[in-house]
Amino acid sequence: MSLLTLDKATIRFGGLIAVNEVSFDLNKGDLFGLIGPNGAGKTTCFNLITGVYTPTSGDIIFNGKKIQGTPPNKIAGLGICRTFQNIRLFPALSVLENVVVGGYLRHRTSLASALLYLPPALKETERLKAEAMENLKILDLDGVPNARAADLPYGMQRRLEIARAMATKPELLLLDEPAAGMNPLEKQDLMETVRRIRDNYGITILVIEHDMRFVMNLCERIVVLDHGEEIAQGPPDQIRNDPKVISAYLGEPV
Amino acid sequence: MKFWGIRLVSILVAIGACFALQGLTGHWSDYAQRIVVLIGLYVTLAVSLNLINGITGQFSIGHAAFYQVGAYTAGYLTLTYFNSPRVQGMLHGLPANSRLTIWLLLMIIVGALAAALAGLLVGLPSLRLKGDYLAIVTLGFGEIIRIIVQNQQALGGSYGMNVTPKYESIAVIWLLAIVCIACCRNLLKTAHGLPFLSVREDEVAGQAMGVNVTRTKVTAFLIGSAFAGAAGALLAHFEGFITPATFGMDVSFIILTMVVLGGTGSITGSVIAAALLTYLPEYLRGFKGADGNALSLSGANVVAWMVGVALAVGLLRWVMQKHIESKGKRLGFYVGAIVAGAVGRIVGNLVFAHIAPLQDKQIPIDQVRMVIFAVVLIVIMLLRPQGIFAHHEFSWSLVRRLFKREEVPHTAVSV
Repeated sequence: MSLLTLDKATIRFGGLIAVNEVSFDLNKGDLFGLIGPNGAGKTTCFNLITGVYTPTSGDIIFNGKKIQGTPPNKIAGLGICRTFQNIRLFPALSVLENVVVGGYLRHRTSLASALLYLPPALKETERLKAEAMENLKILDLDGVPNARAADLPYGMQRRLEIARAMATKPELLLLDEPAAGMNPLEKQDLMETVRRIRDNYGITILVIEHDMRFVMNLCERIVVLDHGEEIAQGPPDQIRNDPKVISAYLGEPV
Repeated sequence: MKFWGIRLVSILVAIGACFALQGLTGHWSDYAQRIVVLIGLYVTLAVSLNLINGITGQFSIGHAAFYQVGAYTAGYLTLTYFNSPRVQGMLHGLPANSRLTIWLLLMIIVGALAAALAGLLVGLPSLRLKGDYLAIVTLGFGEIIRIIVQNQQALGGSYGMNVTPKYESIAVIWLLAIVCIACCRNLLKTAHGLPFLSVREDEVAGQAMGVNVTRTKVTAFLIGSAFAGAAGALLAHFEGFITPATFGMDVSFIILTMVVLGGTGSITGSVIAAALLTYLPEYLRGFKGADGNALSLSGANVVAWMVGVALAVGLLRWVMQKHIESKGKRLGFYVGAIVAGAVGRIVGNLVFAHIAPLQDKQIPIDQVRMVIFAVVLIVIMLLRPQGIFAHHEFSWSLVRRLFKREEVPHTAVSV
């Protein structure tokens, strides 16, 4: 059964059609890639799925329910969480606190019990912190829980974003250019981590990436966008040899 | 069990400290007592605004409006209903003093609720606004409240309103301050504080992580304004007289200054800045010469002071920007800068004393106290733009680290 379906999702901004009738299906446990040249509409697709934008037409179906028009915070509650292309951590908060924010949507105690410092709120806090530490371990960040997020080196900030998204316990994790700005070694590392997240925790992953080698090695299926239109879909080998994809990336042969 | 033991003891200590303060200040003059009261009220106001401004990052500058709503609601109800037969009938059988205490507690709650309602009114339409725009709306809201009250004959208009019976209790005012501090501190100590901080840090990311940004902002406004309203209710009953001028824009700005000066987001900073900024103008008022008259400085003296302060501040800023490895050396440079400032003042004194028009001009300190007050603010902001406490909070481990000379880790809160 498909976990997420985009059914002819379209969004217009005035005269510009940023995403035009894009359709694809994600099955549970997929490692799915979303690629395309700059301005192809990849991040807009993410914004449609996570509720930042509401599609002008078409449907977005998650777990059998239409989710378009649902506010982003509710989408996170449904089990879709994302990272950002330009890192958006909570800079002044510590690494651990960043991840606890991700876990907060599953808290069960009232604000009053927190204001009065009652045991339920304290236990809940301890529980969320322990969970956050687990997530930091997965991303290999458990050595620096008290560092300020803004003080982390770039590669670690990228990983922290993933750890924070993992803390919401998503069924579907959207990664927006997770390898951008990393060196080859870090990329290799990240690839293994992403695969491990899928294999060990059964989280379906949709990843936007510019690095072809990264996507081709990591993803099992790929969708290619160009100028908001879907131009190809299939396993990496097929995408690699698709003339439309080659021309979108390299231009028409002269 | 240990948990509840500590809780019980700390609550008892807090209550005990408030009554001890009341006992201690019991024989002080009305003027001195009033300063203690104002510090308590301003601590409440600054800490509650810090929740909205510093912790949730919503730039609100109309805090005096909530203070006013609380004061006028409670004052009006006391004036109109406390002596009515029905209320007296309900409180019948209690000694006169505890009748008033119970009524006051009720009025604190009513004042808080009324202010919270006002907070909701200003919070809801402000949700789409950020930064400067929100600031303008809250400022406008504050003025609207003040002007409405000024034009209500039932509330005494611009003449003000007498609130009888008065209830003068330093202990209750300080208890409110402690409750306010405790609530904010508890919030930051539990995971519930994180959505507030995440809204300040990055709204979009917070929402993507499932934080209900709308509800978080409204909650911050509700709690913050409720405490301001409670403080207002206490002010009305302590002073026995309130006018719209008590809640002008200048009050809003001084509360905002306390939050920024203390270190935006730091509860400890807000408390210290509130105490400092309430006390400082009164302290400057108290400068008296040996003959009991207000102390004056000659114009030459004032100019010399200006030279000295400017020199010291300039040098201190220069030292701060310099990279100095050793801590001892750094301290030496700081002391040197201050000494240079002092020397500048002395030399300036000698030089300017020869300029007759300067030397002959006498300037009484208590008349220029607000100028001195402003200079102090400017100097603090120049030397410590992040505020007195920056984003730190007081904690025993901080004190220990201070003596061990370790670096303090950079965390906003210690969840």
